[in-house]
Amino acid sequence: MAALLEIEALGKSFGGLRALHDISFSVAEGEIFAIIGPNGAGKTTLFNCVAGTYRPTAGRVMFGGRRIDGLAPHRICQAGLVRTFQIVKPFLGMTVAENVRVAAYARESTGRGADRVAREMLDRLSLGDWADRDAAELNVAHLRRLEIARALATRPRMLLLDEMLAGLTPAETTAMCDEIRRLPEQGIAVIVVEHSVPVVSALAARAVAISFGEKLAEGTTAEVIADAAVQDAYLGRAET
Amino acid sequence: MRGYISVLVLAGLLLAGFLAATGSRYHMDIFIMTCLYGTLAVSWNLMAGLTGLMSLGHSLFVGIGAYSVAYGYTAFGWPPLVTWPIAVGLSVFAAALIGALLFRSGLRGYFFSIATLAFSEVAFFVVSASRALGRSDGIILPGSRDAAWHLQFFEKWPYGLIIAGILLLTLLGGQMMMQSRVGYFWRALRDNEDAAAALGVDARAMKMLCFTISAGIAGLCGAFFATYVAFVDPRSVLGIDLSIQMLVFSIIGGMGLLWGPLVGAAILVPFSIFLRGITAIQGSDIILYALLLIVLALVLPQGVAGWVTARWRARSTAGGR
Repeated sequence: MAALLEIEALGKSFGGLRALHDISFSVAEGEIFAIIGPNGAGKTTLFNCVAGTYRPTAGRVMFGGRRIDGLAPHRICQAGLVRTFQIVKPFLGMTVAENVRVAAYARESTGRGADRVAREMLDRLSLGDWADRDAAELNVAHLRRLEIARALATRPRMLLLDEMLAGLTPAETTAMCDEIRRLPEQGIAVIVVEHSVPVVSALAARAVAISFGEKLAEGTTAEVIADAAVQDAYLGRAET
Repeated sequence: MRGYISVLVLAGLLLAGFLAATGSRYHMDIFIMTCLYGTLAVSWNLMAGLTGLMSLGHSLFVGIGAYSVAYGYTAFGWPPLVTWPIAVGLSVFAAALIGALLFRSGLRGYFFSIATLAFSEVAFFVVSASRALGRSDGIILPGSRDAAWHLQFFEKWPYGLIIAGILLLTLLGGQMMMQSRVGYFWRALRDNEDAAAALGVDARAMKMLCFTISAGIAGLCGAFFATYVAFVDPRSVLGIDLSIQMLVFSIIGGMGLLWGPLVGAAILVPFSIFLRGITAIQGSDIILYALLLIVLALVLPQGVAGWVTARWRARSTAGGR
């Protein structure tokens, strides 16, 4: 399949601190791809560079054949690449339905159209019963669902999920994973950032591992997890 | 739909207020001042309460509007038909310039507030030092032989009709905006700018739109003020006091709703005029006024309008199911 997202020699420095260096990988259309790495590896920084929150200091990001690095976040969203936040950012002054409607307006200009898309997304993520409640009333698992419902309402070609499963109960995690696995058949590619190795193995066919801002390995998820450098990064180097 | 019903109810109340005030010039003056400050507070809250842009210098646009009319009339003899559109245009233009500076540099929150305050204070001192604009003495708009053409009426009720019309159009237009895509984007920016941007909202363009619309309304109010009072000076139309008043009316009325600030103005404007009339010791009216503010802020933190709608919603859900 053709590459939808291509990241070429991406780098990001904050002053003298090199947060990312020479990261390259590509993600195909309709694929679930994982970015793994220990705490502080630069996973969220990488997300921020791709989604436009940060401007990369080196390299290129190509999306659908178009260069998107350095574009403002709203432009990247309009291009079809949408992200969720690790720390959920609901619009607390609005109802759940209104939250999703804001996102639906990215593609729909009429109130009726936005309303239809919002309702569809709420039903898909089993939030229909909560539609007219204030977003402030939702618990963490529901807020995560809301975050995804909003992202999907922008009609993306690719969805970036930043630690969407952390802190959920096993049952909630299973339900969320099922939800994510259904996205490729709707033509939406997914990149997940996760800590949990079992979750990543269950979800993603391919993965890239990074540590201290450098790429350690890329390939099928099983290969990446089995890679010696990745094992070292997660577990520490074994004494010999 | 519910939003339009609120506007309709308010229109009915306005008409009732207008009719009740036709009997006396004193009452009509209270009605006019309530509508004027109500419109101003609604325009301020369009930014602060609904888009999250807390301006502390909104009087700048009132001043631009008022001085456009005063200067246009005294220097060139222009009638309101000419000066009012100029007043609105200059206010919008000034907001576009300031907005371009502030939003491009990404000023948010308190920094935006302080920057707007700085602009209005600079204007205050520039006008206070300009001979052409009457320095701190202000400009008196003398009567004209062509009175009606210059919107100079002996009776006060025509002014009441004009400002009530401006207020109603502001509410209707505001309600249309709030129920459209733009309104959703504004509220999203208020609640979380990063999330809104990630969902495709062009923050800078949306803030600019809100700022210029709000400034245009404030400019129109300033133009009305100059024509009605026939006198403008820096303190009454450019000072920080005026900006703070918009903030107070909005907080007391309720910042979460389009028409909340109007409720605040409708309570506080008549109350303050009434207090001024009955208190014997100088300054005691201000103390009583401050006490009322403290009590209202403590008892109804959501504002009067916020409290009323919460009660209304609670009752309709309890009775409806």
